[in-house]
Amino acid sequence: MPKGVQIAIGAIVCAALLGWYGFSNLEGQATYQYFTTLDEFLASEPQNRIGESLRIKGFVADGSIDRRVDERRVLFAIQNDPPHVNANATATFAVHYLSLETPDLFQDGAEVVVEGHVEGRPSGVVLIADNVLAKCPSKFQAMAEQQRGEAEETSL
Amino acid sequence: MSTLGSYSLQLALLFACTGAGLGVYAGIAQRDDWSQVAERCVGAVFALISVAMLALFYALATNEFSNAYVAAHSARSMDLGYRLSALWGGQAGSLLLWVWMLSLYAAGAMYANRHHHRELAPWVAAVLLGNAIFFLALLTFSTNPFELVPPAHRVSDGNGLNPLLQHPVMLIHPLMLYTGFVGFAVPFAYAFAALITGRLDTTWFRITRRWALFAWAVLGVGLMLGGRWAYEVLGWGGYWAWDPVENAALMPWLVATAYLHSVMIQEKRDMLKIWNLVLIGLTYSLCLFGTFLTRSGIVQSVHAFTNAGWFTPLFLSYTLLVSIGFFVALIARSQMLRSTNRLESVVSREASFLINNWLFMALLIMVFWFTMYPVFTELVIGEQRTWGPVWYNLFGSVIGLGLLFMTGFGPLIAWRRATATSLRRQFQIPGGVGFATAAVLAVWLRREPMAIAYWGMCAFVATTITQEYTQAIAARMRRGESPLVAFATLLRKNQRRYGGYIVHLGIVFAMLGIAGAAFNQESLANVRPGDSTELGAYRFEYLTAEPIPKQHYGGARARVALYRDEEPLAVMAPEKRMYWLEQQPSSIPAIYSTLREDVYLILTAIEPDGSATLKVYRNPLVNWLWIGIVTFSIGSIVVMWPPPVRPREA
Repeated sequence: MPKGVQIAIGAIVCAALLGWYGFSNLEGQATYQYFTTLDEFLASEPQNRIGESLRIKGFVADGSIDRRVDERRVLFAIQNDPPHVNANATATFAVHYLSLETPDLFQDGAEVVVEGHVEGRPSGVVLIADNVLAKCPSKFQAMAEQQRGEAEETSL
Repeated sequence: MSTLGSYSLQLALLFACTGAGLGVYAGIAQRDDWSQVAERCVGAVFALISVAMLALFYALATNEFSNAYVAAHSARSMDLGYRLSALWGGQAGSLLLWVWMLSLYAAGAMYANRHHHRELAPWVAAVLLGNAIFFLALLTFSTNPFELVPPAHRVSDGNGLNPLLQHPVMLIHPLMLYTGFVGFAVPFAYAFAALITGRLDTTWFRITRRWALFAWAVLGVGLMLGGRWAYEVLGWGGYWAWDPVENAALMPWLVATAYLHSVMIQEKRDMLKIWNLVLIGLTYSLCLFGTFLTRSGIVQSVHAFTNAGWFTPLFLSYTLLVSIGFFVALIARSQMLRSTNRLESVVSREASFLINNWLFMALLIMVFWFTMYPVFTELVIGEQRTWGPVWYNLFGSVIGLGLLFMTGFGPLIAWRRATATSLRRQFQIPGGVGFATAAVLAVWLRREPMAIAYWGMCAFVATTITQEYTQAIAARMRRGESPLVAFATLLRKNQRRYGGYIVHLGIVFAMLGIAGAAFNQESLANVRPGDSTELGAYRFEYLTAEPIPKQHYGGARARVALYRDEEPLAVMAPEKRMYWLEQQPSSIPAIYSTLREDVYLILTAIEPDGSATLKVYRNPLVNWLWIGIVTFSIGSIVVMWPPPVRPREA
């Protein structure tokens, strides 16, 4: 058998084994979407998406965090834009996080991605989250850039 | 000071352009006099960028907030060390650090080879200065670290550095990554010069072997220190998350490791000439690509710097230009690089090194594919999709196990063709020890087969290394040397081989610790003062919480008594800090550390009702990872240590 064919067969066998290994271990856990933004989600009629699992990106609405220690959960609301850009946002969305384990950066105004499923409650549609990821509030960077922008304008 | 810095950078750019041009001319015309001028330009560029570095350090040290960079990344309340480290805390400063490193390496390489390999010198100068031109142009024309704040917007205090970065490891971790990344510029430049001049013997990698080793070792240690920092500061109980920026630094290291192994085959057997050039080209390209990934923010990451619109296309074009230039030269010279020797047997040292190379490349392709997947899907289906860390671990662990096996197998088998008898003699004991370890662990633990396979393999590799040492030391002792003298002589006389084994031993320790993660345990509990929560044999009694009275941060410190089987061990004090200036909270874990396992405690929150929410982890064997780092560093130093100077023959 020529060497090229031997190598090809070897490579195919290795790839097949690896593929089998992957699928047998992680069936149904393939790639996931990063997130949809809150505006995109709200535009898609939340009441029709009850039961769906998804990740939504938004910002924690100022003053909305309610830590219910006895119930082992944290309730809060998210809005599409950061509070320092849009403090009186009306389109907020309620999140019930089923744990007290909030990340460090979870606070008013923090950028968060909430992962969970949509449920209908008497109070309206909510996201029942089993994971909350928080990003560093980029407020300072934004302010610094804004300042620099203004500086450039004045120096022109 | 800022004006001085600005002017030095502009002047450096001028010298870099002149030097690069002269280098090309000297190379084509084969004029050594002009080549020397180009090399002096390298020295001048280095001196001028050093002035700029000092100017920025000075501005940071003296709180010169009229400088926009200082105002954005430093603050009066920070200690001097952290103020200085803000030099690599932001975009412009870290680009300055990059180009300064490059000029330092360039000047060092030119100086070290001022008397020999003269035909390569002008081209090396041109390639290194060519790279410097790009960064200097960026610094001069677009992201200038010496930009001034207009008088109307001057502030009396700066924004400060991200408090998470105010940690001793962060003083050196970025520095080490850069030292590693940029260090590959030297072997890359010599390889490029060898391609241009057609001097494709072993010269280019012989003279850059120590440079490549140095860059590789520093990058490796830097990577692991980053893990150490994540473990101590980020408070999630882990040290590696397969984040794109971590991967960005891992990829060149993987290729460089393959390169360091495969050049040995070219040295001994004159094979794989093209492959070695491909590997060094790929290593440097991936260093540039890694910098690009970190700086551009095209992949979502926790570490990335902010994204400026012009940066992505500019830096990507530069990276492509450098890589394409190199590989075009390689293709043009491919006729000259045909190897005369062929692989004689699949069971030989060179074949085992080849397999090691393939495994490293497989790991590289895996990491690259998963890291860049969001970008590919964005291009194809218009939305970013991603693979979770489970996928990395799943495939990475299989390939890693193969690599660990090669670590033990490769060094013991003969060049050219190994006989069955020699294989049996060499592998009887290590193979037996490995299998026995795995079997005992399997009976005892009864779960996590992958971790058990790793530990069995660790035992196998550790035994091969011990066997190599004992055999060699025994041979010397028969000549009348004491064991210690014999050991020292081995390290001195054959430092590459026996130092290499120490590096391998470091990898074995690290793998021992990493595999322990399969047995990690964690739990979350809400406890009132006086109450306890348990994890395995450990009991955590929440005693009290107290406020932290510090100047630039506040928050709470919890006191938690730790018991194992009701025997008191320690009082742990995890903190939940709030940095006032940056308005950023941060959890500082408390760690009770032993060689067997770490108990890792995080204060998630002090709740409104006075209770504390605690997250506890039990991380078996994790300390061996850090022991691995130290062993790896010692081994690398042995390998790189300059050989004793032989007295000159009269």
